[in-house]
Amino acid sequence: MSELKPTNRKAELLLKAAAEGPIDEVVAMDTVAGCATTFDPGWEIDAFGGVASLCQPMEADLYGCSDPCWWPAQVPDTMNTYPNWSDGKPSAQNDWRELDAVFPKK
Amino acid sequence: MRMTKLRALAFALSAVAGLAVAATAHAGDLLVTGAKPDRLYVIDAEKRAVKSEFRIPGANGIVGAIIPSPDGKVAYVVVNKMESISGIDLKTGKEVFRADLSKPGERVKNFFALDVTSDGKELIVYELPTLLKPSEYQVEDPRFAVFKTNAGLHAKVSRSFPAPRRLHMILMRPGGKTFYAIGFDLYEYETATGKLVGTHGIQKWQLPAHSQPDLLAFWPVTEPTGVFTSPVISEATAGGAAALKTGMMVLDVRAGTLEFNDFEDTSALIFSTVLSPDRKFAYGVYSTLTKVDMASHTLAKRVPVDHTFYSINVATDGHEVYIAGAMCDVGFYDPASLERRANLKLPGCGDQSLASLRVIPAR
Repeated sequence: MSELKPTNRKAELLLKAAAEGPIDEVVAMDTVAGCATTFDPGWEIDAFGGVASLCQPMEADLYGCSDPCWWPAQVPDTMNTYPNWSDGKPSAQNDWRELDAVFPKK
Repeated sequence: MRMTKLRALAFALSAVAGLAVAATAHAGDLLVTGAKPDRLYVIDAEKRAVKSEFRIPGANGIVGAIIPSPDGKVAYVVVNKMESISGIDLKTGKEVFRADLSKPGERVKNFFALDVTSDGKELIVYELPTLLKPSEYQVEDPRFAVFKTNAGLHAKVSRSFPAPRRLHMILMRPGGKTFYAIGFDLYEYETATGKLVGTHGIQKWQLPAHSQPDLLAFWPVTEPTGVFTSPVISEATAGGAAALKTGMMVLDVRAGTLEFNDFEDTSALIFSTVLSPDRKFAYGVYSTLTKVDMASHTLAKRVPVDHTFYSINVATDGHEVYIAGAMCDVGFYDPASLERRANLKLPGCGDQSLASLRVIPAR
């Protein structure tokens, strides 16, 4: 923790609270509060460090993983900020070109 | 060229003959699967054709776990980004039950774990609630929520009780007095009171010379045997060398027994499996179709499939293996040779994704 320095008031409060101990113990969650809190490696490698045991093709696995927020790094947060990201694109193998990157609204 | 044409003709004739033989031997099962954005399909397994295509109201892009009622008349389907359960009449396609789990300020997800009591009167749903506060999300404790299946389209929780975290499946035991919940371990609860009456190790399985196991129990298939099976992966250290092993978890929901047996070095099977009616073989699917000899705990056969499939099931009389999930294909396979007999593309080719593939026997 000493390596991290708070850069705003809320972070200072968090650090203070952590030092004083009123923060609830962190427990492993099953439900994700948002896709960004899921820590999974993504599609790049399989359990053996290669690609041979990944789903084939990747599109077969895209919705099965992105719908429950398992692969947050590669797709928008479909639970909170972009729930309609795949609307109108029911087939990943046919519609993948239309599954766009997203950008924060100004 | 002529020989090629003759061979092609002979192949075509033999394929047609094979289809005819397979069709006449069939038990008349119905298959139920779902697909994006809101489809529920009833497939005539004998004709290998879609019998009914229904649209689930308010599916909101996701069709997940499918739980048939004990009489096979209604399918309870997880929809609406895992926040609603919709009961669809499988003859008419009409929505006859609806439970919207979330309410203003509290988002409730159901990740696959639900089942119907054996009398068909109650639905047990695993709820994962999160309070949506102005500047934070507060994760609440998970719970089992019980709904009356005759509660109509605005079903409310009739009772609830605490549940452990990380459950992914509920399997009702015969008689309905207790149910299994599969998560880090296997728990058994009283349906009426929510009292925990037993725990069997999965993460804490105490298997000698094995690491903690890993499994992905998302496909609630116990038909046709009343036995749930799943691939399970762990590191075995027998003989001094460590090696990843794939085994079978075999939970007999009727008898109440739980077994684990390795059958190969981990290589190709991750997702779902199903036990044949005679319990001699298990079939599993991922990017290959796998057949496991359950007596000798060995790999019996493996063939490649066209792409990754998530879900698998078997005919009630065992004469055919079905694979589905992920993309829009439903495959029909020979259980002995694992040769593909037919492939059905679902209309519109929406992804089945995580939808269950369920078999409803002819009645």
